[in-house]
Amino acid sequence: MGHCILTVDDSSTMRQMITFTLKGANFEVLEAGDGVEALEVAKGKKLSLIITDVNMPRMDGITLVQRLRALPEFRFTPILVLTTESDASMKQKGKEAGATGWIVKPFSPEKLLDVVNKVI
Amino acid sequence: MSRWFSGTLATGPAPVLEAMAPEDGWREALLRLAAREATMLEGQVSFLTPELLQVDSLVREAAGTLEDALKTLNKSVLQQHSLAREVQANMSISLEGDDHTGEAASISNTIMGTLDGFVNHMAEISGSTVKLVEQVEDIRERSERMEGMLEELSEIAGRTHLLSLNASIEAAHARQFGAGFAVVAGEVSKLADRSTALSANIQTQVLGTRQALERTDAHVHAIASKDMNVALQSKGKSEALVQALQTSNWIVKDLVTQLEENAKNITQQVGHVVRSLQFEDLVHQTLMACLKELGNLMEQAQAWQALETKLEAGEPAAPALASLEARLGEIEAARVQFRAVKSGSLAAGDVDLF
Repeated sequence: MGHCILTVDDSSTMRQMITFTLKGANFEVLEAGDGVEALEVAKGKKLSLIITDVNMPRMDGITLVQRLRALPEFRFTPILVLTTESDASMKQKGKEAGATGWIVKPFSPEKLLDVVNKVI
Repeated sequence: MSRWFSGTLATGPAPVLEAMAPEDGWREALLRLAAREATMLEGQVSFLTPELLQVDSLVREAAGTLEDALKTLNKSVLQQHSLAREVQANMSISLEGDDHTGEAASISNTIMGTLDGFVNHMAEISGSTVKLVEQVEDIRERSERMEGMLEELSEIAGRTHLLSLNASIEAAHARQFGAGFAVVAGEVSKLADRSTALSANIQTQVLGTRQALERTDAHVHAIASKDMNVALQSKGKSEALVQALQTSNWIVKDLVTQLEENAKNITQQVGHVVRSLQFEDLVHQTLMACLKELGNLMEQAQAWQALETKLEAGEPAAPALASLEARLGEIEAARVQFRAVKSGSLAAGDVDLF
């Protein structure tokens, strides 16, 4: 059974690009448009990795990371933040929330797969 | 920001208020300028908002087009991979039934191995033929020696005949005393005649045998020579065939390498497209920030319009301006001034693992 990855972004284009890249490397991919939907999609799933944006409607990425870390089944699941934000203070917030890594948009497929394979 | 509020709006009194509040002449001037600025700001916002929305719409449309291009490109890559595999499969001709291990190199090796075996086998046959020739030669020599012996036998028979003749003459001279001797001489003469006839007969047979051996010898020489020629010619033709096969194999290998190289390039291009497509998200976030800022500008303009209305209605200038100042302070405080997208290019961003 392959790895299942959840990608969370309010931009459908970003979700498609991430999904395209990951599926090309034989990963199973689930999608969510914001933090609220992500929590619903993740419920009961065995996820190998979660990739989330920061600025999203309803629930932002940092809050999502905090909420996921509060759930026992996702306490140790790698979570990568993929965002346009590159400020050190914002990164620190992500780190404190429990994120595994920080990737600044735009991503290159090769680099993303490299990071994904490192953290899975 | 209006030039009337060059200082900090939210903190401390604006210098312009202290300067103009008591003067009626300033009031009119302020009204004119405020109305003018409000109209200008509204005009700018009304112009900018649909422009920015249009940019957003165009960018999304461009993203859709790029997505379609990406799908087509991906399909082409898969098709190319499939073609490359097909070329390889066509060149993998097995010599061992369902065992698909017989690629061109293995075919060449098999043919060369078979040919070597064939040539070695022919060489062995040729070697045996040479030995056969030697054996034939030995028989021929023995036959020649037998001919010599037969000649000697003929000579003995001749002398025996002469001896019996002399014995008969002597028996005649001895009259009745030589009668028995004459019988013996007659028998010796008959034996000599039979010996001569037998010798001649054997000589004929030996001659025939020698001639047959000579013909056999000629045939064996011809076969030995022909075997090697045929083997060598066959080997030469087969080597040429193998060479042609190897050349064809190299061509196909080169073609497959080119196909793979091309596939790599296409994959790289797909990577660029994936990275480039993310401009939709980046631009969208930038535009949303711009629209928010434009909303602030609109609220500022509306605050100015409120001032104008109050002053036209004859309200005292000082509280009206104070109200405007307060409103502008609220707008300023509510502004979230952050750049949604820091990167000005579509180069891949940094990665930081905690």
